Amino acid sequence: MRPENYKSVEHPPSHEYELNFGPNHPGIEGNYALKVKLEGDVVTEAKADGGYLHRGFEKLMETRLWMQNIALVPRICVPDPVPMEVVYSLGVEELGGLEVPARAQWLRVLHLELSRIAAHLFTFGGHAATTGMYSNMFWGVTDRDYVLDLFEQMSGGRVYHMYNVPGGVRRDLPDGFLARVSELLDYLERRLPQYDDLFFANAVFIDRARGTGTLTQEQALSWGVTGPNLRACGLSFDVRRDDPYLVYDQLEFDIPTETAGDALARTLVRRAELIQSIRILRQVIARLPGIDGPIRCPLPNPLAWNVPMGEAYPRVESSKGELCFYLVSTGGDRPHRVHVRGPSSMHAVQVLERLSIGTRIEDVAQTMFSLDACPPEVDR
Amino acid sequence: MTDIKYESKGSLLRPFKALAFLGREPVTEPMGPRPASENYRGFHLNDWEKCIGCGTCKKICDNQAIRMVSIPDLPADPVKGIRAERPAMDYGRCCWCGLCVDLCPTGSLSLSREYVHTCTEEQISSYFILPDPKGMHGQGYEKGWAKTADADLIDLERQPMHQLAPDERTDSFAEVVDGFDPQSALLEASRCIQCGMCHDACPSNMDAPQYIRAIWSDDLEAAIEHIYDTNPLAHVCGRVCTHRCESACSIGIRGKPLSIRWLKRYAMDQVGHDRVRDIVSKRKAPLPDSGKIAIIGAGPAGLTAAYDLALQGFQVTIYEGLPQGGGMTRYGIPEYRLPYNRLDDDIDIITSLGVVIHYDTWVGRDISMTQLEQDNDAVIVANGLHLGRSTRIPGSDHAQVYSAIDLLRKITLGEHFDIPQRAVVIGGGNVAMDIARSLLRLQQRTHGRTDVTVTTLEARDQMMAAADEIEEAEEEGVVIINSRGPRQCTVDKEVLTGLETVHCISVFDAEGRFHPQYDEDDLTLYGADMVVEAIGQAPDNDFLGELLTERLEWVRGRLKIDEEGRTSEPWLWAAGDAVEGPDVIHAIAGGHRVANSIQQHLASLRKASA
Amino acid sequence: MSKEIKAVRLDEVLGEMEGAVMQRKRPGRIRVDIEADALPTLLQLLKGRAGYLHLSSISCVDWPEDEEFELVYHVWSYETGVLVSAHTRISKQSARYISVYDLYVPAGFFERDIYEMYGLYFEGSPHMEKFILTEWNGPPPMLKSFDTEEFVRDTFDWKEYNPDWLQEIVAKGGGIVE
Repeated sequence: MRPENYKSVEHPPSHEYELNFGPNHPGIEGNYALKVKLEGDVVTEAKADGGYLHRGFEKLMETRLWMQNIALVPRICVPDPVPMEVVYSLGVEELGGLEVPARAQWLRVLHLELSRIAAHLFTFGGHAATTGMYSNMFWGVTDRDYVLDLFEQMSGGRVYHMYNVPGGVRRDLPDGFLARVSELLDYLERRLPQYDDLFFANAVFIDRARGTGTLTQEQALSWGVTGPNLRACGLSFDVRRDDPYLVYDQLEFDIPTETAGDALARTLVRRAELIQSIRILRQVIARLPGIDGPIRCPLPNPLAWNVPMGEAYPRVESSKGELCFYLVSTGGDRPHRVHVRGPSSMHAVQVLERLSIGTRIEDVAQTMFSLDACPPEVDR
Repeated sequence: MTDIKYESKGSLLRPFKALAFLGREPVTEPMGPRPASENYRGFHLNDWEKCIGCGTCKKICDNQAIRMVSIPDLPADPVKGIRAERPAMDYGRCCWCGLCVDLCPTGSLSLSREYVHTCTEEQISSYFILPDPKGMHGQGYEKGWAKTADADLIDLERQPMHQLAPDERTDSFAEVVDGFDPQSALLEASRCIQCGMCHDACPSNMDAPQYIRAIWSDDLEAAIEHIYDTNPLAHVCGRVCTHRCESACSIGIRGKPLSIRWLKRYAMDQVGHDRVRDIVSKRKAPLPDSGKIAIIGAGPAGLTAAYDLALQGFQVTIYEGLPQGGGMTRYGIPEYRLPYNRLDDDIDIITSLGVVIHYDTWVGRDISMTQLEQDNDAVIVANGLHLGRSTRIPGSDHAQVYSAIDLLRKITLGEHFDIPQRAVVIGGGNVAMDIARSLLRLQQRTHGRTDVTVTTLEARDQMMAAADEIEEAEEEGVVIINSRGPRQCTVDKEVLTGLETVHCISVFDAEGRFHPQYDEDDLTLYGADMVVEAIGQAPDNDFLGELLTERLEWVRGRLKIDEEGRTSEPWLWAAGDAVEGPDVIHAIAGGHRVANSIQQHLASLRKASA
Repeated sequence: MSKEIKAVRLDEVLGEMEGAVMQRKRPGRIRVDIEADALPTLLQLLKGRAGYLHLSSISCVDWPEDEEFELVYHVWSYETGVLVSAHTRISKQSARYISVYDLYVPAGFFERDIYEMYGLYFEGSPHMEKFILTEWNGPPPMLKSFDTEEFVRDTFDWKEYNPDWLQEIVAKGGGIVE
C-alpha cells in the first residue's frame, strides 16, 4: 500500500564525503592531516595538510652559532633524532675539514643504530595500532623505552640527546654500558618471536596489510621514495652501504628487500632491518673496546668559530630513508643556510596523496603509518 | 631469528600466545620520580664559590634562557676577575643542552639529576631560578652532567710564542720575543670568551675583548681603534705592560690565560705606523681649544695626558729633562724587552697630534714652576721615579756600587762605565731582572763570558718580579739566590771585592708588615767587582722649588693627590709613578684621569665666567 | 663495468652543455654551475641519458647582496653512486623560474616550499599555494631581509618573571644585568 499523494524527492547524493584525518590522529607520529574525499568508503582525492609542527628550524639555524645548532637539529624528527645530529655534524665537519677520531665514529654508529631500533619499535607499535592491535602498540612503546634508558645513560637525555657535535661526540660511554647494550639486544632477540606471534605473523594483520598502499618500483623511483619504503619495492639501496659514511664500510650487514611494495612488504623490511641493526650493534660491541683515543677532535671556541666558506650536502640513512642537509657557510660564525631534506617530506605528502586514492577508508590510517612519515620533519 | 616470508598467510592462533603475558608482572613505574642516570641533564647546579659571574653561560645559551643577576652581598674583585653576578635560568626557555656547562670557564655550573617541577599559573615565576649547589628545590640532588675533560669546550692552552733561544740572545739587546704570526694570533684570539674581566682589571680599562674580537675577525684596523680608545702607548703596552688583564682572565682559572699583551702587540706590529697615525689623527677634535697645558715629564703618564688633551684641541707642551721621551719605559726598560724604535712610534703618534715636547729641558733649571704656572691654564707633574734607593749598608757608598736605575739610564744613554767581570745585584723585582740581564749581555759582548748573581731578600715564591722575567733571566745564566739579606759591600784596599749576605728567615711579620728576620750565623760572601742595588726608586721633586714644596701637601714623601689626580694647588695635577708607584699601565690610567679632570675643571671655569 | 660507461656518459652530457662548469668536490660528489636557462636541459640529459633518476632535493639560498636566489638541484644516480649538485642563480627582480615537475615529481614539494619560504615562483609547478604557512600573510620568512627576532619582539607581549628571590635581590640594590 502507498499513499496516493506520494511524490519522490530529489536527494543529494549521500555517498560522497569529505573527511579530515588529523591534525590529531594515531595514524601518524605527530600533528598532521590528510583531507580526503570519499565515494562510499573509497578515497577519490587526498590532500596532505602540514604546518602544525612548523617551528622554523631552517630559519632559526641561520641565527645561531654553529655549535648552538646541536640543540635544534634533533628536534626536527622526534622519533629518530640521532641521524639529524649526525648529518648536521657531518656537514660542519666537511665544511671545516675536521677529522673525526675513530672512536667517535664508532660511537656514532652505536648511537645511530640504537636510534634506528627505537624508531622501528615505535613504528611497529603505531602501525599495529592503526589496525586495531593496541597490545602491540604498548609493547613497541615500552620496549622503545628500554632503548631510551640507554640513551639517557649515554647522553644524559632520553629523547633529545644532543650527543653528536661537529668533530665527534660529547661524552665517552659510562662504565658497563656496552654490557647493557648487549643485554638489551639479547632481550630484543627474545622479544622478536613474541612480536611475530602477536603482530608480524598474525593472520589478521597480514591480511589487512597485504595489498594496502601498493607502490610499484617505477612509481617509487619516480616519486622520490627512499629508505625502507623503496627497499620494499625491490630496490636494494641503502646510503650506509652505497654512499657510505662513518665506519659503515667496515661493518657486515645485509640490506633487506621485498618486492610487493605494499604495507606488509614495508613492515617486513623494517622487521628485518631491526635484526640487521642488532647484528651491527653486536659488531660495534665487539670492536669498540679495541678502539681507543679521543672522542672529539679539538674544536675552536664555540663563541668564536668561523666555519670556512663553502657548501656541503651530507647524507645519511635514517630509519625513514634518505636524510640530507644542504649547508652553506660564508665563512661566518653561523650558517648562511641549512636546508633539511628529510625522507618524510616525500613520503607524507606527494606519495601519501597518491597512494591514498583508491584505498578504503579503514586502510587510510594504515597506509599513512606504513610509510613511516614523520610530520615534524616535513614541517621543520 | 627467523625470517617471515611475504607469502606467509600468518596464523590466527599464534596471537593468542600473548595471553601468557596475563600471568606476568606488568610493566609499572613507581609514582615517585625515577632516579635519573649519572649523566643526566636536569636542573642546574651552580657552585657559588667557584662561579666568577663571567656570563659565558649566558653567551652560549641557545635560547637566551640565561640572564645574569647582580647580587650586592657577594664579593667582587676586578683585579682577580670576580664579579658579584650569578646566572639565573629561565626554564620556560632552557632546552637542557648543557652547553653552558661545557663552556663554563670555572667549572662551577653543572646539571643535576633532578627533573621534576610543576606549578600553577600563579606560581609561574618559579620557572625562573637562581641555581645554587642545593638544587632547584633545595633537596640536594646529585650532579648529573658536569664538566669533563672530554667535553670541555674551553681551550686551556696558549698558542706557543716563539722567542730567541738563550744562547741567541745574550750577546745583544735584540728583542727576545718574536710576536705572533697571523695564524697563531687568530687562534689565540679565538680562545677569548668575551667575558670582559680583563677590561675590569685593567687600570686603564682597555677594551681588550673588543680588540681581541677584531683580531679574530682579522680586522686589525678596528683593533687599533679599540686600543687607541684607552691607550696611546700601544707599542709599549703591547710589550712590557704588567698585564693585569691576564691575571684576571677567566680562562686562567683552569688553564693559561689569553696572551692579551702579545695580541695587542700583534695588532700594532701588523698595521703600519703611517696607517696607525692616520687612524688616530681622525680622532682629533675639529676645532682647537684655547687652553694651554704644561706637562713635566714625557713618560707614560705625561704622554697619555698629552694625548687626551691634544685630541680635545688643547695646546700641550711637555718639558722633558732627558734627551728622548718615554721616561722609565726608555731609561729603565732594556731594549731586548722594548725596542726603542717602537717607543719612538708611540711618541710620534702623540706629537703628530700637535703636542710639543722640549727635550733636555729640566724644569727648575731651564724653566721655573712659577713660569709654567703663569703661562698655562694647568700644569701636570709626571716626573716619575728616577732616584734609586740605597740599602745604606757599609760599603754601599763605594764607587763600584750602583743604583740599578742609574745604571739602566747609563746603558740607554750609551754612557761609558766599566763592565764588571762579576756583578751582584741586590733585589728581586723586575728592575733587578732588567739590570741583571742587561749586565749579562754587556759582559758577554765585552768579556765573552758572564757572571751575574741576583740576591733577593724574598724566598722564590715571594719574588716581586714577573715569572717569565725570572725564567728568562735564569735561562740566560743569571744566578738567583733567594732569602739573602745584604750585610756589607766588602772592600779590600779600596777595591770592591763582593757582597756579604746573611740568611733571611722571613721577610714579613705576622701582620704582613715588612720586618725581616735573619739568621746571623749563616753568612755568605758573593765575590764581585760591581754591586747593584735594585731595591726601589724615589722621585726627585727638587724642581718644585722650596716655596711650592712648602705650599703643597705631601703623604710619605709623595705629592698628595685626590681621586682625580689634583694636588693641593688648584692649577697643579700629578700623575704617574711619582704619585702612584712604578707601573706603566697605572701611569697611563693616571694620565687619562688628570686629563679628564683638567678638561672638566677648565670647562667649569669657562661656564662660571660666561 | 656499468659504472664506467655511465661515468663517460656524465662527462658527455656535461660536455654537450655549453657554459656548464664542473667541479669534483670529493668522490661521488660533483658540483655543476650552469645558467638558469640551460639547467632544465641539463637535468633532462642527466635523467634521460646518464641515469640520474632521483631528485634528492632542490635547495634555495638567498644572496641578498647579489639580489639573487641560488637554486641547487641535487640529483643522484642509483647506478653510478654519484650525486650531482647543479647550481644556478635567479634574479630576485623576476623571482620566477621554470618548474621541473614534469621531469621529477618530487620537485612539486620542493618548489612549493621555496615559493612559500622565499617567494620564488615556479611556472608550471602544480602546487603554487601555501602548505605550511597557511595562516601567514607576511613576507616570505626565509628571506634574509625578514628578521625573526624583530618579528617576535613586535608581535608578542613580554612579561617578566618576578620570583621572591629576585625581589629580595632588587631590594638590596641588585637585579638583572642587561
